[in-house]
Amino acid sequence: MIDPKSPMADGAAVGGVGTELAKDTILRVQDLKKHYPIRGGVFSRVQAAVKAVDGVSFDLMKGETLGLVGESGCGKSTLGRTLMRLEEPTEGRVLFEGADLAHANKKQLFVLRREIQMIFQDPYSSLNPRLPVGDIVREPLDVHTIGTREERQRKVEELCLQVGLKTEVINRYPHEFSGGQRQRVGIARALALEPKVIVADEPVSALDVSVQAQVINLMVQLQKKLGLTYMFISHDLSVVEYISDSIAIMYLGRIVEMGKKETIFDAPTHPYTRALIASVPNPDPRKRRKQAPIEGETPSPVNPPRGCAFHPRCPFAQPKCKEARPELEPFSGSGDPRHVVACVRKDEI
Amino acid sequence: MQLFRIDPLTKKRLQRFRRIKRGYYSFLILVVLFVLSLFSEFIANDRALAVKYDGKLYFPTLKFYPMSTFDQKDEYGFDDVEANYLGLKTELRELRAEFKQRMESYSGTEAELIAAEPKYARKDAWVLMPMVPFDPYEPDFTYDVPPPNAPDGRHWFGTDGQGRDVFARLLYGFRISMVFALLLVVLGQTVGTIIGSLQGYIAGRFDLYGQRFIEIWGTLPFLYVVIIISAFFIINMWKLIIIFAIFQWIRITYYMRTEMYREKTREYCLAARSYGASSWRIMFRHLLPNCLTPLVTFTPFFIVGAIGSLTALDYLGFGLPAPTPSWGELIDQALQSDNRDKIWLSIAPFGAISITLVLVTFVGESVREAFDPKQFARYK
Repeated sequence: MIDPKSPMADGAAVGGVGTELAKDTILRVQDLKKHYPIRGGVFSRVQAAVKAVDGVSFDLMKGETLGLVGESGCGKSTLGRTLMRLEEPTEGRVLFEGADLAHANKKQLFVLRREIQMIFQDPYSSLNPRLPVGDIVREPLDVHTIGTREERQRKVEELCLQVGLKTEVINRYPHEFSGGQRQRVGIARALALEPKVIVADEPVSALDVSVQAQVINLMVQLQKKLGLTYMFISHDLSVVEYISDSIAIMYLGRIVEMGKKETIFDAPTHPYTRALIASVPNPDPRKRRKQAPIEGETPSPVNPPRGCAFHPRCPFAQPKCKEARPELEPFSGSGDPRHVVACVRKDEI
Repeated sequence: MQLFRIDPLTKKRLQRFRRIKRGYYSFLILVVLFVLSLFSEFIANDRALAVKYDGKLYFPTLKFYPMSTFDQKDEYGFDDVEANYLGLKTELRELRAEFKQRMESYSGTEAELIAAEPKYARKDAWVLMPMVPFDPYEPDFTYDVPPPNAPDGRHWFGTDGQGRDVFARLLYGFRISMVFALLLVVLGQTVGTIIGSLQGYIAGRFDLYGQRFIEIWGTLPFLYVVIIISAFFIINMWKLIIIFAIFQWIRITYYMRTEMYREKTREYCLAARSYGASSWRIMFRHLLPNCLTPLVTFTPFFIVGAIGSLTALDYLGFGLPAPTPSWGELIDQALQSDNRDKIWLSIAPFGAISITLVLVTFVGESVREAFDPKQFARYK
């Protein structure tokens, strides 16, 4: 077990071997795991585990947007919640400017929470129906006792304006708003503590397409203005393509490919990524699909297939794919220095 | 300020409740009756509301006056016991009648007669008695036959086996039942809500063992426990409330527990945790206000249950101690073999219990309807 770093300490000074962060890395996730034990038998022994997140590592650069893509049940949301410590991680580290969120104690975590905030998926259940919008947005300030009453009230008004709501909304209740406006309230709440990183867990997937664009544009504007770093979780490739700088593809609890947006979309390497990209509907009817979409069901995360978890569905699978689980390795073929792929045949296919 | 702001959901439910006329009027009637019963001393009492005597005003409901104040003596010659106001009223009425009679045959003016016979100076004194001039504890032995006496102009609902006014006992009994039920329900619901909410919120082992404990606790036979305890201790109202509450809290825990389980998975709860809100804050500011529906809808029915159980326990003789006015005790008297023909003894408490319970049940039904999230569902 690694000692939690003091949130105040400088990352490089306390990081130790292998934890020095590149200058512009704001969040480093190292081998993060979240396993849910399945208990059974006479004495409720742990019989197996759902490996929702099974060893995920990536770096989040300051000011960038990392899009996290994967199909339902691949562990994207769990990853987001685990690195927010809404779920206790089973293993691994989450380094925010050198301080380890995953092992921080209650007090350290409380301080760290100001730096990293979350936008939730469902704008209907993410706002307490019993509280007026002003109270919802002000609550993080109350919890962290920032400023006087008047200062907080002014801050709330400021936040509302910032997300494109009028200040009159403060005394109104969530049910009086549309989905898009509610999501704006959710964004205002996430911004209240002036965080540096925002984890957005499918923030627009519950909204109408026309409203999606407005919310996405708002997020982009805010990023430019406030220098925010986003981790944008989504299953919608077109949304991710629009907002992200780099993209990570997740499959069954692991990242299988990660790189710049252009690399992922123009030269997808991992067979799963290729299938995903190919599945995006193309408005041009003359363009044919290059590849048949993948078939079959996602395997169970309790007993993932041996070796590469994707091999049962992979058109390029070979016997060697069953032997060892491929790790994320740099792939030089694309010319992107941050491009990593977890496939043993990445150079052949 | 936070406490008094009603959120629109609650407002809507209250409006819906007001629209359900049967429940709303039942509620108003109950409130009026309860408030009136809080002032029972001014409605049914053998102390006068006000007395004007020798030019001075007295308010005996609020203060003790010995017999000597009004020149009275009891049959043993003592004058330091509580004044007999009903007797005083009769005395004064007789005095006035006598004075009137004397005046008819008297040649002079009223003032001259008073000067001649100074006792007539008191003809202007008066006594204002309450609506029912009887105390629930004091027997009235003015009848020729021994009590219980049938209803008449003096005792509207008759008297019981000890000659006490039945109406006064019903009224004080209503107050005691309501106060008892309200205190019990508040205490029981508070404890049950806290324990049930904690079970639902903390979950895990605490919930598992808590649930097993509640299951065991719930099988304890309530009546036997009360009988055993009352064999060792002298029961008073507070002890009885606590004994009741020990069993009362269980039922609401089931509902609060499941409500919490459901509500805590909502994203607003996650959001609160994501900015570091304490569990305490999440539970009481966010979750509890969203879990109040079962609490509010069950409370009236628990009040019905509490009144019923208290009456039953009083009937069995394990309830409130003897002279306390109580409905159960009246029913017990009515059912004694030599009182079977004294029909007023059973009709009065039966009527009071039925009316009260029907009113509370109407309120409960309407509250349930007003708080029903599935407003348009129809159950067949």
